[in-house]
Amino acid sequence: MSLENVSIRDVLYEAPGPKTRMKIRIATAISIVIMIGLLAVIVRQFYITGQLKTKYWSFYGRVTTWLFLGKGLLGTLKVAVISGVIAFLTGMLLMMGRISKSKLLNGVSAVIIEFSRGVPTLLFIYFFFLVAPQFGLKLPAFWKISVPVALSATGVVAEVLRSGVNAVPKGQTEAAFSLGMTNRSVFFKIVFPQAFMYVIPALIAEIVIVLKDTTFAYVVNYSDLMQNSKVLISNYDALLSVYLVTAIIYILINYMLNRISVKLAGKNPLF
Amino acid sequence: MENRETPVIELKHVNKHYSHLHVLKEINLSVKKGEVVVVIGPSGSGKSTLCRTINRLETIDSGEIFIDGVTLPEEGKQLAKLRSQVGMVFQSFNLFAHKTILENVTVAPIDVLHISKKEAKEEAMKLLKRVGVESQATKMPAQLSGGQKQRVAIARALAMHPKAILFDEPTSALDPEMIGEVLEVMAELAKEGMTMIVVTHEMNFARRVADRIIFMDGGAILEENTPEEFFNNPKTQRAKEFLSAIKNK
Repeated sequence: MSLENVSIRDVLYEAPGPKTRMKIRIATAISIVIMIGLLAVIVRQFYITGQLKTKYWSFYGRVTTWLFLGKGLLGTLKVAVISGVIAFLTGMLLMMGRISKSKLLNGVSAVIIEFSRGVPTLLFIYFFFLVAPQFGLKLPAFWKISVPVALSATGVVAEVLRSGVNAVPKGQTEAAFSLGMTNRSVFFKIVFPQAFMYVIPALIAEIVIVLKDTTFAYVVNYSDLMQNSKVLISNYDALLSVYLVTAIIYILINYMLNRISVKLAGKNPLF
Repeated sequence: MENRETPVIELKHVNKHYSHLHVLKEINLSVKKGEVVVVIGPSGSGKSTLCRTINRLETIDSGEIFIDGVTLPEEGKQLAKLRSQVGMVFQSFNLFAHKTILENVTVAPIDVLHISKKEAKEEAMKLLKRVGVESQATKMPAQLSGGQKQRVAIARALAMHPKAILFDEPTSALDPEMIGEVLEVMAELAKEGMTMIVVTHEMNFARRVADRIIFMDGGAILEENTPEEFFNNPKTQRAKEFLSAIKNK
């Protein structure tokens, strides 16, 4: 087995023997039976409570429904991407402040990071939705959701990037310094690219959180996937079927992000 | 006739402490152009620290260090410039993990010496060929053996056209069968007139290649002599003990 193909399972568990293989087979069979049973119970419950009636599902046959959901999804993605970019850029600045030798910069960055990580996203949103307008800061709905979501992610991004920078072996900087490279070159050409590769999975995990945070868009009346789902619900009086489909869409996107993360982690040239 | 040439590397009254531990004691050392100085001594004798102060990877508490007659400053552009003139080869190779072998050799010439990418590449390929790893140019460091990595590290140092190269235990992290290929490259460099300070435990290399042996213990230079004199007639009791201890291995 080559080193690249070792998964965490191979590291944690030894290869099973014949008895263990039998146990695994039995446990697998039991779990499958239980899961089928659970599914049957759910479907039966749906049927009994009338959730399977065509009126709750027929509107999915219309193109307009999907266009409407698609528009919402586009809104979600727009907010997620912009928030992500803002969070990354500001997180980068905060991280650099945090590792700088200036005590003042360091302290200020640390305070902002703790503030960003400590305050719930919803509170940031209320600030931009309710408080800021009273002081004349009236943002469009898109920014009322994007800015707070970015604000609440930036602290985590800064700390994730910092952990990556700290993980780069000291010998890398020493080698770069010994070649006559300046502080700036050493950081941007040697340290940061490696730090970034280390933390790609953690950054993607943070994107997932950002994406989920965008569901607060309904607070500021911005049409994201969640907000449009709510509209569908009130139009068709179909709470369960809409939430189910919406959840599946969110799961698919986040699952895709996780797959990308795993792929990238496997390609990391540092190991 | 007295040699009035400026030493390439000179240390005067260098002292360093780690809190109460005196790790470098009044070090005076002068290395002429083309000279190969091999530093030996037991673990913890300060030989690596000595080597690293010359590139200011370790700070010093007092004394002065000169590179080609210029004082090594504590920071800034001048420090970077002097560092670029003295190559360094590390025990743990320290190849840039995110760059290909070729990029490892070209990054500093492009970034520090501002030579064109094309020129840097051509020269890098020549250097990789010289150390015998040109076929690995497009690979990543993680794909190379220790001996190959160390030879790339030497090529990387050479690409800066340094006035001297410091070797900090370059073979200590290598499998026995790879030590030879690295020492061979180093011996070749010595023959071509490169000024070198080599911290090593390879006594055969020291005997064969060194112009001068420095023996250190307890942070001080105890003995300084030609290889023949040092190995055949060690002056200090400590050197005698050290030599007999490694002979008995």
